[in-house]
Amino acid sequence: MLEQILCIDDDPITLMLCKKVIAKSSFSKEIITAPNGEEALHHFNTLKYNNKNKVSKKPELIFLDLNMPVMGGWEFLDHFTSKAYSEFNTAKVIVLSSTIDPHDLAKAKKYPIIIDFLSKPITKPMLEYLKKKMEL
Amino acid sequence: MKSKTIQITLIYIMISLFVTIICHKLLASFISSKENFYFFIIKDIIFILITGLVFKYILSKNESKNVSIFEKLKQTNEEIKESNEKYDIVAKATSDTIWDWKIQEDSINWNKGIESVFGYKQEEVGKTSKWWFDKIHPEDSIRMSIKLYSFIEQKTEKWQDQYRFRCADGTYKYVLDRGFLLKDENGRAIRMIGAIQDITKQKEEEQRLKLLETVITQSKDSILITEANSINGKIPKIVYVNPAFLQMSGYHSNEIIGKSTNIFNKGPNSDSDELKKLLRAIKNEEECLIETISYTKHKEEYWVRFSMIPIFNNEGVISHWISIQRNITDEKKLETEKEHLIRELTQNNKDLKQFSYITSHNLRAPLSNLIGLLNLTEDIPIENPELKEILTGFSKSTHLLNETINDLVKVIIIKDNPSMQKEEVSLKEVFENVFSQLSFQIELHKPIIKLKFDRVPLLNTNKAYIESILLNLLTNSIKYKSENRKLKISITAEQIDHQVILTFKDNGIGIDLERNRDKVFGLYQRFHNYPDSKGLGLYLVKSQVETMGGTISIESEVNIGTTFTITFKN
Repeated sequence: MLEQILCIDDDPITLMLCKKVIAKSSFSKEIITAPNGEEALHHFNTLKYNNKNKVSKKPELIFLDLNMPVMGGWEFLDHFTSKAYSEFNTAKVIVLSSTIDPHDLAKAKKYPIIIDFLSKPITKPMLEYLKKKMEL
Repeated sequence: MKSKTIQITLIYIMISLFVTIICHKLLASFISSKENFYFFIIKDIIFILITGLVFKYILSKNESKNVSIFEKLKQTNEEIKESNEKYDIVAKATSDTIWDWKIQEDSINWNKGIESVFGYKQEEVGKTSKWWFDKIHPEDSIRMSIKLYSFIEQKTEKWQDQYRFRCADGTYKYVLDRGFLLKDENGRAIRMIGAIQDITKQKEEEQRLKLLETVITQSKDSILITEANSINGKIPKIVYVNPAFLQMSGYHSNEIIGKSTNIFNKGPNSDSDELKKLLRAIKNEEECLIETISYTKHKEEYWVRFSMIPIFNNEGVISHWISIQRNITDEKKLETEKEHLIRELTQNNKDLKQFSYITSHNLRAPLSNLIGLLNLTEDIPIENPELKEILTGFSKSTHLLNETINDLVKVIIIKDNPSMQKEEVSLKEVFENVFSQLSFQIELHKPIIKLKFDRVPLLNTNKAYIESILLNLLTNSIKYKSENRKLKISITAEQIDHQVILTFKDNGIGIDLERNRDKVFGLYQRFHNYPDSKGLGLYLVKSQVETMGGTISIESEVNIGTTFTITFKN
């Protein structure tokens, strides 16, 4: 079981579903959420500057939506994979989206940090599959 | 001759001396004076000698005159003989046909040319001028005879004429006939001699050249010819321009011929790179093709496609340049319009595609939530039977909606992906996959399936598509099987040249093609009232086949069966 995962999605229902399904399949102990890329980055910034002395939990896995207001998934990844977030970007990213645009799929292959590209909704079999894949 | 003169002179002197001596003998018998006697005899002898010498002089003078006349005659004679011989030789050797016409008697003689050139045998050749005139082409004969008779009546100085002369085989030859008159002492024409030259080849060549020339003069393309050498890196001097060029450029030929510039007018919008390319080609004596904006005399712009071709003589030295130009303003305009249209369409298409992605994303996002939520309810026990029923209906509808949207998404992705990846696919594997996906239905209906694809074990295609195609066709066959007979499906693959033909045949209920032929592969077309038919399967199949560069056709008869023929390049 993972310690902490981060779900980034602008849709509260999706976030609610994530929380419930993840909890039910005992995928992670803690689930934190962010409504868009910027808020997620803000969260990492807070971790970085406010708790310098304290060793706090970092998300081990990020479920990332692509189409979001303010800052979308791709822009978030571009920031997150930069040096500024080097202490956090050991986390793996799973794109969880409703997109069917083949360009998105092709683009995902260019980011080594993305370990999978999955179609919504999140389901228990999906999490079982991920557990196997990540050898948890 | 000389000796003869001397002989005659001597004889004269002898006779004279004899007569003198006789006379003196006779005289001596009558006259006794000895003094006078000797005096007379000496005087006579001197007289005879002097007259003899004079006589000899006159004779010899006469002789030499005669000799020179004789010499002259002899020479003339020889000249005539030689000239005759020459005439004979020339008449034999010449390719011309020579005729000799005695006008008063109207008798005409032909040399051998009449046979060798025109094919008439000696016995076929007529003896009068009528025979000659009969052989002249009707269109030429009046003109020719008018000219000929006015010459004979000596109204004209010279006579030569071109006309068509009929050969023995009925064909006509173009001839050039030249003649001169022989006149009697009164200046009357009595004889005419002429030579007919066969100029058919020249005439044909002339006509061929004329025809070729019309290509240049009638051409809608501008054609111009320039000298070989350019001066100061300019375009060489123009030697010829055709009418089309004058029309295109607006110049008169006298403004252009002999000039080196102005093949086209450079202007603000001319493509200077193209012009440099042209000048470089001229320098290197190479062919060149450029397109640029040019200007007419009146500064009107036009697009021209311009080629320069060097012409080399037998020694391989450049002798001229030929330039062909075409006004492509309209073409260019169309091209720009087309490009503009294509750009616009591409953009529209891109926008629409994006729109469809966004729409489908926005549809799918809440739908996936619905499905996720329904999934969650499965784990919660529900006591209320009515609520349970409602939730079941809710779940069914949601899943149906999801399926429909997924199918549509497939269509969008196929349409967006014309250059998908192809690989070597084993047909056996494809069928195994398809059958395993349909194992439930196959187990249920137990159709008789005949497969024959050993001739095409490998197919270069997209695996996902070929699987989807076969899955759809097989599902259709099972779905629309006849209730009265056992379902039989036969699938064969054959390779003909570079094409693979896949035939898929069943004995199901079929489709009424007379009514539905153009709708069979359409989107949302359904032909049977079955609850789970969405009218997507065949549309998808056709899209996938065509995306892979193939074609599909259908043959079907109601209640007998359906055959699909799919053709791929392999």
